[in-house]
Amino acid sequence: MTLRLLYLAGAAVGLVVLSAINLGYGLTTLSPADIVRTVFQADASSFEQAILLHQRLPRVLIAVYVGATTAVGGVVLQGLVRNPLAAPSTLGINAGATVFVIAGAFLFDLGMSAQGVAALAGAFAGFAACFLVARLAARDRDPRGLALILSGALVSMLCVGLTNALLLSDPTRRNDYLGWVSGNINHAYADRLYAFWWIGAIALAVLMWLARPLTLLLFGAEKAASAGVDVRAVSRLGLAATMFATGSSVAICGPIGFAGLVVPHIVRPLVGSNFVTLLPAAALVGADLCLAADFAAREAFRPYVLHTGLFTDLIGGLFFVAIVKRFYLASPGAVQR
Amino acid sequence: MLSVHDLVVHYGNTPVLTGLTQRFARGRVTALVGPNGCGKSTLLRAIMGFLPAARGEVRLEGQPMRGIGRRELARRVAYLPQECHCPDYMTLGELIELSGYARYSLAGGPSDRDRALFRQSLEIVGLADRAGSQMNTLSGGQRQRAWIAMMLAQDTEMVLLDEPVNHLDMKYQYAVMGLIRTLSLRHGKTVIVVLHDLNLATAFTDDVVMLADGQVQAAGPVGEIITAANVERVFGIVTDVFTRDGRLMCLPRLIDSLPVTA
Repeated sequence: MTLRLLYLAGAAVGLVVLSAINLGYGLTTLSPADIVRTVFQADASSFEQAILLHQRLPRVLIAVYVGATTAVGGVVLQGLVRNPLAAPSTLGINAGATVFVIAGAFLFDLGMSAQGVAALAGAFAGFAACFLVARLAARDRDPRGLALILSGALVSMLCVGLTNALLLSDPTRRNDYLGWVSGNINHAYADRLYAFWWIGAIALAVLMWLARPLTLLLFGAEKAASAGVDVRAVSRLGLAATMFATGSSVAICGPIGFAGLVVPHIVRPLVGSNFVTLLPAAALVGADLCLAADFAAREAFRPYVLHTGLFTDLIGGLFFVAIVKRFYLASPGAVQR
Repeated sequence: MLSVHDLVVHYGNTPVLTGLTQRFARGRVTALVGPNGCGKSTLLRAIMGFLPAARGEVRLEGQPMRGIGRRELARRVAYLPQECHCPDYMTLGELIELSGYARYSLAGGPSDRDRALFRQSLEIVGLADRAGSQMNTLSGGQRQRAWIAMMLAQDTEMVLLDEPVNHLDMKYQYAVMGLIRTLSLRHGKTVIVVLHDLNLATAFTDDVVMLADGQVQAAGPVGEIITAANVERVFGIVTDVFTRDGRLMCLPRLIDSLPVTA
């Protein structure tokens, strides 16, 4: 238990350190004292301070928001679907939100806040489509959620296809959205963050509040019900909160997928599967991962700046291999499963 | 007291319970026995409200179960399914802590009284020193005792167990059944337990309910129900039922009862 708290504290320290690095390091370097002074005074009198407040700080906040919401979304979805491959990116949620935003912008000329609403609606629609396809294909016989994962792939492909078709149809506006569609943390999206952050905050609070019943659901619906969980209400509320959290993060910076799939697997062996500790740990590690990815995307190939989405996919993939090897192939539990 | 009145339950179009009526006396251990597919597990799941009743009802102390909310039911009845899977990386202590969920306030956690109960539950099953261990590092017998500790920690007046000694070796079968016995003897709980081994029923339970074809075929105190005639009628095998050192034993005859032509 104490070891687990130590990991949790480590992830929190990581968040502070990575934030400081992201804020301070770059073409112009700022000391931690500078950072603190500028952020808390919130006025940009010099060039360095303007960079900090209007470029680096938004990027850091977006990275933290996206990392935390998608990682927590992944944890909740993997628990509710009972499949280790479940994530916002594999269940049609990200792709649904993306196609709704692009369709809204290209076909109906939606403004920014309307695009945010479209992203949330798309997150729900994407998952609903995925759920419907799984139902049609497998009826009720889908104990491990495999049909859901497969129909998630199907729905995602369809949505990505539609998104691409829309992008191709309008060369003039295409460039504005190309970066967003591949998942990009960019200070240009700061307004979106300031418009939608409260959605994710409320959703994460709701999920934290549901931590115990969501953990009990891991034991199966009947065992959970026998322990006093209102299975239907908790599942629906948990799913809705997840859609809101991940949909809002897509609204801000596009579909950044891998954190939702990978972070739960990184965190679970360290802090266990009890959501009371797993959810905060996933939020912190997800934020850490996105901060690191964003920093690498920004600095690794200077003067070029990469898209963060590409980097999260890369880092996530490498981590995934390591985690599977370390915790699944090596542990005695792996054989029993 | 738990009573089942004229309960009818279908799986799709297949009737599983066909008008089952039975009372389960308070503070006693009742074994549910019967051939495979006779509706033992279905009865427990129907009592818990997991399966809709096509007809009839279940009452707890005269109160219809349907009207009891999930949280209140969880404070009164604990249930252990046949197959229980623990999430990876969960410790025994965390498992026990979750059992008290129905008693916690919506935002709160366990009270001091709850924590004392958790410790006591682990002591009763002999796993007090393993609270920090992950469930998947425990042996099969330890794990089954952990699930029973979880039921104990749920602190209910009634406990339903579906084949709790499946997959256990003989030593742990007797250890776990002994634990279940103490649930009623020392803690005054009403226990209903689905069993396959009639000798475990005779050794550890007060009453036996024999099911077949979705109905109660015989019910009452162990000594009256476990008879060669009843066993042959319900299970279709010939047995010798005898007393040895004060214990009722039920031993199948090998040659006569092998269903070679069946």
